[in-house]
Amino acid sequence: MKLKKLMAIALSGAMVLSMAACGSSSESGSASNGESASAANGEESLVVWTLASDLKDFGARYQEKTGVNVETVVIEPADYPTKVQTALMGGETEPDIIVGEPQMLEDFYDNGFFADLDEMGAKDYDGQIVDYVWKVGQDAEGIQRAISYQITPAGIYFRRDIAQEVFGTDDPEEIGKLFADYDTILETAKTLKAAGYRIFASDAEINYFSGDSAWVVDNKLNVSDARFDYMDLVIDLYQNDLTAYANQWSTPWYQAMSGEVPILTAEIQNYEDDSVNVWDAEAFEEATADLEKTTVFAFGLPSWGVLTMRDNVGDTSGKWGVCAGPAYGFGGGTYIGISSLSEKKDLAWDFVKFCTLDEETADWWIDYSEGDTVSLISALEKHKDDANEVYGGENLYSFWLEQAKGIDYSKVTKYDKVIGDAWGAAISSIKTGQASRDEALATFYDTVESTYPEIEVTR
Amino acid sequence: MKTNQANKKLTRYNNWGYLFVAPFVIVFLIFSVYPVLRTLYLSFTDLKVMGDAHWIGLANYKRVVTDKFFWIALWNTVRIWVVNIVLQLGLAFLLMMVFSDVKYKMHGLPVFRVIYYLPNLIAATSVAFLFKTLLDWRFGTFNQMLSTIFRLFGAHYNPIDWIGSTSTAGSTIAVIQAWMWFGNSFIMLMAAVQGISKDYFEAAALDGAGRWTIFGRITLPLIKPIMMYVAITSLIGGLQMFDLPFLMTEPASASYGSTQTVMMYLYKFGFTAGTIQTGYASAIAYALFLIILTVSVIQIKLFNRGED
Amino acid sequence: MGFRIKKGALYLALIILALACLLPFMLMIVNATRSGAEISQSFTFIPSHYLKENWDRLFNYFNVFLGMWNSVLVAVPATLLGVYFPALTAYGLAIYKFKGNKIIFGAILVFMMIPGQLSLIGFYQLCTKLHLVNSYIPLTIPAIAATGTVFFLRQYIIASVPLSLIEAARIDGANELYTFHRIIIPIIAPAMATMGIMGFIGNWNNYLLPMIILNKNDKFTLPVMMATLRASLDIQANQGAIYLAVALSVIPILMVFTFFSRYIISSISAGAVKG
Repeated sequence: MKLKKLMAIALSGAMVLSMAACGSSSESGSASNGESASAANGEESLVVWTLASDLKDFGARYQEKTGVNVETVVIEPADYPTKVQTALMGGETEPDIIVGEPQMLEDFYDNGFFADLDEMGAKDYDGQIVDYVWKVGQDAEGIQRAISYQITPAGIYFRRDIAQEVFGTDDPEEIGKLFADYDTILETAKTLKAAGYRIFASDAEINYFSGDSAWVVDNKLNVSDARFDYMDLVIDLYQNDLTAYANQWSTPWYQAMSGEVPILTAEIQNYEDDSVNVWDAEAFEEATADLEKTTVFAFGLPSWGVLTMRDNVGDTSGKWGVCAGPAYGFGGGTYIGISSLSEKKDLAWDFVKFCTLDEETADWWIDYSEGDTVSLISALEKHKDDANEVYGGENLYSFWLEQAKGIDYSKVTKYDKVIGDAWGAAISSIKTGQASRDEALATFYDTVESTYPEIEVTR
Repeated sequence: MKTNQANKKLTRYNNWGYLFVAPFVIVFLIFSVYPVLRTLYLSFTDLKVMGDAHWIGLANYKRVVTDKFFWIALWNTVRIWVVNIVLQLGLAFLLMMVFSDVKYKMHGLPVFRVIYYLPNLIAATSVAFLFKTLLDWRFGTFNQMLSTIFRLFGAHYNPIDWIGSTSTAGSTIAVIQAWMWFGNSFIMLMAAVQGISKDYFEAAALDGAGRWTIFGRITLPLIKPIMMYVAITSLIGGLQMFDLPFLMTEPASASYGSTQTVMMYLYKFGFTAGTIQTGYASAIAYALFLIILTVSVIQIKLFNRGED
Repeated sequence: MGFRIKKGALYLALIILALACLLPFMLMIVNATRSGAEISQSFTFIPSHYLKENWDRLFNYFNVFLGMWNSVLVAVPATLLGVYFPALTAYGLAIYKFKGNKIIFGAILVFMMIPGQLSLIGFYQLCTKLHLVNSYIPLTIPAIAATGTVFFLRQYIIASVPLSLIEAARIDGANELYTFHRIIIPIIAPAMATMGIMGFIGNWNNYLLPMIILNKNDKFTLPVMMATLRASLDIQANQGAIYLAVALSVIPILMVFTFFSRYIISSISAGAVKG
């Protein structure tokens, strides 16, 4: 009995002590936060859920500037929508900031994941951000939901020295004309092949510029002629040995940025020609020694490609230029918004403004990222004369700003990923001869029909 | 025949059963039954991502039945699973025979068992990453090695795009799957064999039974419950195949149509941004469940008939 | 003589199979010492000298050891709960005849067949209602209801536990729980260890559920941390670091696995001596 009593006393004592400890620790915690936090009303921390590591840098910068504790949780892009959807559907209040890439946004809007930024005063900033980015951040009713700190217009990155040699000029204006439309591109490709070069490393370089209208218009599948032209272009490029046959984002594709790669004809590609063993590095060197090596002329990438190229061009740094493609296009971009379930919306809005609408941040990011393209117009104009030495001193910021003006944001729909993938699969089947054109197209239409019963498909 | 008294006593013992299963039942009801019943409800609604779910009766199920790609996905799953199971169980069974053979008395079981299980230790994400690199059409090590071997014999090897080509993608994934899991099946079969009391073997040996007789008359019947477990779980697991094909194939490639499994199809409607239709995904889940249930029932019936 | 040759051939086949299983581990270790550029250019079994660089790069992203510790906090309790309670349940179902026994067993069979992923949303909603998000409870406690393990152990008990043994214990006046702990567990230990290994590996490598349930960087388990490597912009350059992370993450399961497989063997020989 005595033992039991003793235990009881000891236990209650321990509980009191631990409660006291909790109390004091939370007090000291809030005190220490209080002295550093600039946001006075007790909102001393923010949680950011993102899919790319760049917001981590923004978070750290914000913390440094304001003392607000920013916790950035990075989630793999493929799983990001799953994570956000499950959390918000489950009523999770933890993330204050959530982000989305363009193709995710419509879903996020429809389901009310993003808070209304107009209520926070976003309207006051109308016109300060590049127009298409501002519009992509609006839902169907025109309410601002998210803002990106980046613009991502697409351009053609080309080799100035080869341009001089083959076309007698390296003026981006003039070179842009060589990419004006698909027929011209095919002509350009043939001219380059005759000169011993290849126009592209892969046959997917024009993808960012493809399609002059949305995949779905008024709930109808819209396969415009431009889509078929693009398909024909890819098949022509592939079947006429006009590219270096690298797959986009594969190792040889990266290698082609830095200079010579061996010519691989379609026969070698399909291994009907046994004379070249592509896998044994030494034998490959030997076998291809007689063949001329070739150099790839151009890559098609959005503005963030400036960084990708810079990191991979090696000795050809300075020999590159950027010009316009056959159409206006854009790819990617991280759109920052506030979770509709956040309990710290004011502080979150402050963070969104910091990342996207603050000129000082934009300056810092341009400097820190070494060439990423921001969306704040005033910053782009301030840096319009910045010469990028990797690209022969071209004033890229004014170029991207021009390109961005032509972008038609209404082409983006939530259907793009699935329909685009299905179209890509169809093209891939046709060009490698795994399916006839009719079969591949039938599969494409069937896929769209079965995925989105609400879309009307006319063949 | 037991007496009445003994029966009463047995009932008293039998009440212990409730205690033994209580923790399981409680956790099961909360964490398994509730989410599953909720899914069942959702399969009768038009819920997409969020918002109100409207009751639409059997419409989702009608859509499943008429959805060509669901059936293609099922066919893909079965095709990949069959190749996989034949290799996986076949290999495991052979190994079990080798190591339980009374004549050869193979040594090194502990070491081999550990090594054969190794592929299963790596997460599917890493396995997929590894094999994507190894099996790369132009620069992958596997084709490189094959090419070298062919050259040694003075022949030429026309490299195959293992993952990118419609004709090989499914089988390639099945082989990797089998490579990952044969050690697992082997361990379970071995555990079953070792669960058999040595007395049986000794008695049989004393009776002068040969090794095939021992294998057929003692080993096989006694490991049958475990074999049934392995077969059923493999089928259930196989029909839910997801990780490897999901991670190894690209949606925009020609071979995707031949490797999309039912679970991938479900994932597309359950979790992929832009295509989320929770109600339809739930219906796909239950359609798959009904298929698994049917096949399992047949399987169990077959096993039990063998027992009689 | 034919016997010897046949035996030799068998060993050779076993060794070739073993090499096929070891290959990725060798590649993993070698590639952990190579730079991203080297890995993408060629293939070799000769290590390079970028281990330190990869290590720094990896720890620059996150603390691997914290991730490992978190994974231990999830995988160990989940494994222990996921072996002990299913064993208890399996024994209850296999030995006792009580009302509901068949229903429970039927439910177990049925639930094994339900595709796991789709109950994810319901599961998450439940966790938010119970305030379990960001906690390890949803990752550990549900292991008690591991239907597959119950099914396996029930089959095993039916096949390998003689009823006479239990009756003998009852005549000696042993309490049923005592019988289970002292007599039954030693008999079914190999099967429990087998399920334990698989449970541990499954929990250790589990990605989807922890990714959904955990929201704090310092609570992330290793697979969730590793996935963030793929979210970074320079995947190409990170390849060596990714291989290193995979190699590091495999070491603990390798240790557990060798330990457990020894345990299976010792328990079998112990049983043989007693028998």
